[in-house]
Amino acid sequence: MSAAVKLVPVQDAYDDLLNRSLSRISCELGRLIYLASTRDYNTGNYYHEGLASRFSPEVARKALEIAHRQAFYKVSAFALEDLVSDLETYLRASRENPADFLRMWQKLEPYRIAIPTDVNVTVARLLTSNLRLALAILRFRQEPSQSRR
Amino acid sequence: MIGTSSALAGAVVLLVLILVWVRAEAKSRHLSAVRDEWLPDQDGPVEKCPPEFVSRIFSSQDLAYISELESPVLKRQFLRERNAVALLWVQQTTAAIRRIMQHHLEASRRSRDIEVTVEVRIFLQYAQLRFICGVLFLLIGLAGPHRLQGMALRADKLTQRIGSVLSEFECGNRTRELDGVRFS
Repeated sequence: MSAAVKLVPVQDAYDDLLNRSLSRISCELGRLIYLASTRDYNTGNYYHEGLASRFSPEVARKALEIAHRQAFYKVSAFALEDLVSDLETYLRASRENPADFLRMWQKLEPYRIAIPTDVNVTVARLLTSNLRLALAILRFRQEPSQSRR
Repeated sequence: MIGTSSALAGAVVLLVLILVWVRAEAKSRHLSAVRDEWLPDQDGPVEKCPPEFVSRIFSSQDLAYISELESPVLKRQFLRERNAVALLWVQQTTAAIRRIMQHHLEASRRSRDIEVTVEVRIFLQYAQLRFICGVLFLLIGLAGPHRLQGMALRADKLTQRIGSVLSEFECGNRTRELDGVRFS
């Protein structure tokens, strides 16, 4: 009984998060990075001020955690071609210089922080591996054709 | 003469297989130790790899996409990356099934009535799975994961089957133990 009572507000908070915040982000990778950014680096706990004030910090934390895991599995399941196109959308939305963006992402690998805790290690590895490839593909597309081989 | 040449050919094949195995083992150890040591804890509670991801890792769709780009450098990087992921999956599957079997052996030792036919069936499935994992480990480096999708999915299905047989077995054991306590 108590579990059912608790699940309803989490579902409401999740829907709220989906409608107010996530729907404004243009790509799945963007949603994943955004959700990862709501996690505290020191404690691993999720926090979202608006969501916590509308529901409760605990309910908001759970909803963010669920949304993060779902976004992670969704992006990880992408075919490489779809991931490249999603990354391209993310790049355009960032409004950064594409060459600088790609160089920094290849160097710093900031997507590492996008992985939720306790997910399957092979799936996590598949995602980072595919992102490395997607970055290489986008850089390859930018290069002039004579320097490609 | 034929016997000697066959033995020689057999020895060469065996040597090649051992070399491939050692190379794959070293590569997978190196890749998991160096590249992604920040990945989720592998010794903690392990979440199962969903079947759709097994299908994706061993799919030929991404390779076809990469091939269209006509870049040997990208293709090499893709094969290196995907081989590493596939080898990690094989390692994880082998480790998971080993853990399940150890757990089962401990439960069997405590159990009073062991059914030999069930135990034999579990052992045969376990042996089959270990064999498939061994073959996959060897062939991933030689043929590439995209040619081994069927075998990988079979291994995944077998892992699930063994897991469910063993959980049924444990449920049965617990019920029998409870019945024993109730009627004693």
